[in-house]
Amino acid sequence: MNALIKRVAGSLVVLVVVLVLNFFLFRVMPGDPLTGVMDPRFSPEAKQQLAVQWGLDKPLTEQFLVYIREMLSFRFGLSMMTGIPVWDELKSRVPNTVALLLPALLLSAALGLWLGVKAALKRGSKVERLVLLSGAVSFSFPSFFVQLLLLLCFAYVWPIFPLRGTSSIPPPEGPAALLDYLWHLTLPLFSLVILSFGGWALYIRNMMVKALGEDYVLMARARGLPHRRVVWNHAFRSILPPVLTIFLLSLPGVVSGAVITETVFSLHGAGRFLLEATNSHDYPSAGAAFFLLALLTVFCNLLADLIYVLVDPRVRRESAR
Amino acid sequence: MIFNFSMKTFEFSLNTGRSQARKRLGRFGRLRGGRFYDWIVWAALVSSIWRAAPSSAGLTSDENLAPPATSSFEGSSFDIFDFEGPKMKDLYYVIMRDMDAQLLAMSTGKLDVLSDLYRPADVERLARSGAAELSLASTFHGFFITFNVREFPWDQVTLRQAASQVVDRRRWTRDLFSGYCEPLASFLPPISPYYDPLETAGPPGVGSSNVDLSNAGLSSVEAARKRLADAGWTWDLAGWLVAPDGRPAPLTKILCPPSSVAATTTEIAQLMAEALLSLGVPAEAEPIDFQTMLARVDAHDFDACTNAWTMSRDPDVLYSFYHSSMDVAGGYNLSGISDPELDRVLRDLRYAPDEATARVMASRAQRLLSELSPVIPLYSRYSISATRNDWDGVFTTDRSTSDNMMTLVSMTPKDGKERPIYWNIPEEIRTLNPLVSSTAYDWTVLGTIYDTLISVNPYTFEDMPWLAESWSIEPGDAGSVLTFTLRPGLKWQDGRPLTAEDVAFSLRYIKDNNVPRFYDSVKDVESIEVAEDRRTLRVFMGNTSYWHLHNIGGMLVLPQHILETVSDWRTWQPTNRPHEALDGTVLTELIGTGPFTFRESRTGEYVHMTRNEHYMLLRPQNSKGSKETEETKEARP
Repeated sequence: MNALIKRVAGSLVVLVVVLVLNFFLFRVMPGDPLTGVMDPRFSPEAKQQLAVQWGLDKPLTEQFLVYIREMLSFRFGLSMMTGIPVWDELKSRVPNTVALLLPALLLSAALGLWLGVKAALKRGSKVERLVLLSGAVSFSFPSFFVQLLLLLCFAYVWPIFPLRGTSSIPPPEGPAALLDYLWHLTLPLFSLVILSFGGWALYIRNMMVKALGEDYVLMARARGLPHRRVVWNHAFRSILPPVLTIFLLSLPGVVSGAVITETVFSLHGAGRFLLEATNSHDYPSAGAAFFLLALLTVFCNLLADLIYVLVDPRVRRESAR
Repeated sequence: MIFNFSMKTFEFSLNTGRSQARKRLGRFGRLRGGRFYDWIVWAALVSSIWRAAPSSAGLTSDENLAPPATSSFEGSSFDIFDFEGPKMKDLYYVIMRDMDAQLLAMSTGKLDVLSDLYRPADVERLARSGAAELSLASTFHGFFITFNVREFPWDQVTLRQAASQVVDRRRWTRDLFSGYCEPLASFLPPISPYYDPLETAGPPGVGSSNVDLSNAGLSSVEAARKRLADAGWTWDLAGWLVAPDGRPAPLTKILCPPSSVAATTTEIAQLMAEALLSLGVPAEAEPIDFQTMLARVDAHDFDACTNAWTMSRDPDVLYSFYHSSMDVAGGYNLSGISDPELDRVLRDLRYAPDEATARVMASRAQRLLSELSPVIPLYSRYSISATRNDWDGVFTTDRSTSDNMMTLVSMTPKDGKERPIYWNIPEEIRTLNPLVSSTAYDWTVLGTIYDTLISVNPYTFEDMPWLAESWSIEPGDAGSVLTFTLRPGLKWQDGRPLTAEDVAFSLRYIKDNNVPRFYDSVKDVESIEVAEDRRTLRVFMGNTSYWHLHNIGGMLVLPQHILETVSDWRTWQPTNRPHEALDGTVLTELIGTGPFTFRESRTGEYVHMTRNEHYMLLRPQNSKGSKETEETKEARP
């Protein structure tokens, strides 16, 4: 229990540091929201009015206090880019991003895991060579290339899927709207699975090869345990903690979005919003997005620590002591 | 990417003898044409390309670069009431970001109009596909190399003139943009009504002509070195330039964005560095993060930098760029040029009482700038757009590509069947609050909703009646007095009448709230009077300037009955607030007078608009000469 409290306290400290850095780093970076306003019809006096509109005319300490209040109350203020509450901006984008990236993460991890274990079990066979090759190709191809190729094939030459977005124009009504949504997400999802299963497959194959050569696996085989039990209960279980860690630490990426995928498929997601907010020094939007990402990362880290305790008896015993 | 486009043969019907363009267009085969607008489209393409296309002789200097004088424009009698529309009921602004996806959508009919084509390969691919007709026009864009003239060596005008002389605009634009950009050697783009080719010529070899008759036979580098030598500059034993006072030219770093962000800009900075090296000036390109670059330029911590501007038809932008009072934080006099004579001319240009004075001052300013060379103009981008060729009624001029309001109003499918128009927007709409939105994409949508008092003749860039049927600008006691008379029978999209009270209220609201986007346009408004007929409006300005006419005449007009209900203009989201039209239809507060009425926006996906049944160009409102109908008479209070 003490260990858990220590970890939670440590996480809170990390969050406070992130909160403070989040404010000052953006202000220390070269440029400010007004630097990017380069329009000859926007005089220095007009820029000053813009500074008033955005609250940049106030002293830094006052800006900091407003920032802390907005962050801790999860209101986040108004986006400088759009004038819309940042929370509303995120609410309209994050569901699309999660709907795309969470299944993509789950599917690519599951596929990579299955292929990685398969390849490790059939070393030297055609299966392993195929997994290694496909894994390397999938891992190394630039995403925009693969995605444009898929668009060309499945949205143009064989127009099975739509070219853009998450809904038809005009969108259907009723239950058909859900089907329409899924239909629009299929190709981006497929592309992300293709692009990321390779990393999982290669990683798991390498770890499984190492685990399968360990003495305790040999011992399990010598004890006459069934093949399936040796593979999954002994070898695979030993690699489970690092796999879970990677999986959990990938979860914040599910919210932060995939900029290139959003661009190629014209998806309304969080990735481009985050990028544009950072580029245009939209302090409230970038601050909120990074704060939420930090919150999620800290939470996933904490979750990974807890799950470690559950899946690894050695950690459990250590924690108990 | 390999596209399976079938090659189609175009028919080229041009009765001009511009062989350069023919050579260039020969890559597309022959152009489809025959009708009036086709002639206009391709005349525009040809005339623009004629100026940009590299000569077959492979010129390496800017000789013959000066574009033709802009005195003979067509269409000065252009009348918007020759148009009737909108013809189509539905318009969808479709958000599609990726350029390759946009091209696929054009080919499959998922998009009808595509703007901002900028990759030469895309232009040629679309032209070959036969799916769309392309239009091309010069723009107000300008790309410059800016020197920090506050410090040595760029405070030396001879060196700046020599640097200007060695740039090879024609070759650079040909190599980097395959000719799809226009070499620019003037401080106002040649498309500007105030561009003066004679005054822009500047000293021999420096200005737009780049022809130095006194140094005939010399290459541009030799002529530039001779210019420096004549002014007392020398070269040390290693070949580096030394100023007349004995100071060696220090290293000049040309700030530019990294190639991952703007590849051609980085390359131009490198070419510029090479050009300076040819003069003996140590120079190199320094690619840095764009925001860092802007911050350093703002802090005057630079030697030279790349920068681009989109200017407007009014030449008073020159005041913003080159007047010494603009050399302040947040100002646009990046070079820091400060010259009393230039300041005086620019001030007279900004506060010119009438158009004739403005024209004279614009010419003088261009002459002085050509002599002072605080920046080196390099190129201007073309605007290129595509419209699917299954539509009729596409309108273009040599100054306007097909993605314009008149096209929107008059386009109809060739098969005569009613269907929506799908118009691409390559970025998400950020906000449809007209008082806050600032991106060109937001204004693509807002521009079809809101109108202005006066508009711009697409042939000549002269003022053209729009909501106001007539106007005048006169000198007053304190400043200019503007008088606008609205057309009779104008209506908002919700059916309520538009009066001069609305215009006055819009102007007062924007001024009283210091709305930043329109601050400069209304800051000099002293008072506004509305005549009893509620069609005539007099605006009294606090000082005299001809440009007040364009600032006030170009302001968007908002409905008073909506604006009165807005509690905070900064957070106003008109698309989320329902508003009932006179006929009971539920619209939103995004109500204007434009050809299409906002219906729905699905963020990040599309904006749906429907025809404004009260639009002034729709019959029976559109009776030539603005005759009032019984309906419009009744609508008037």
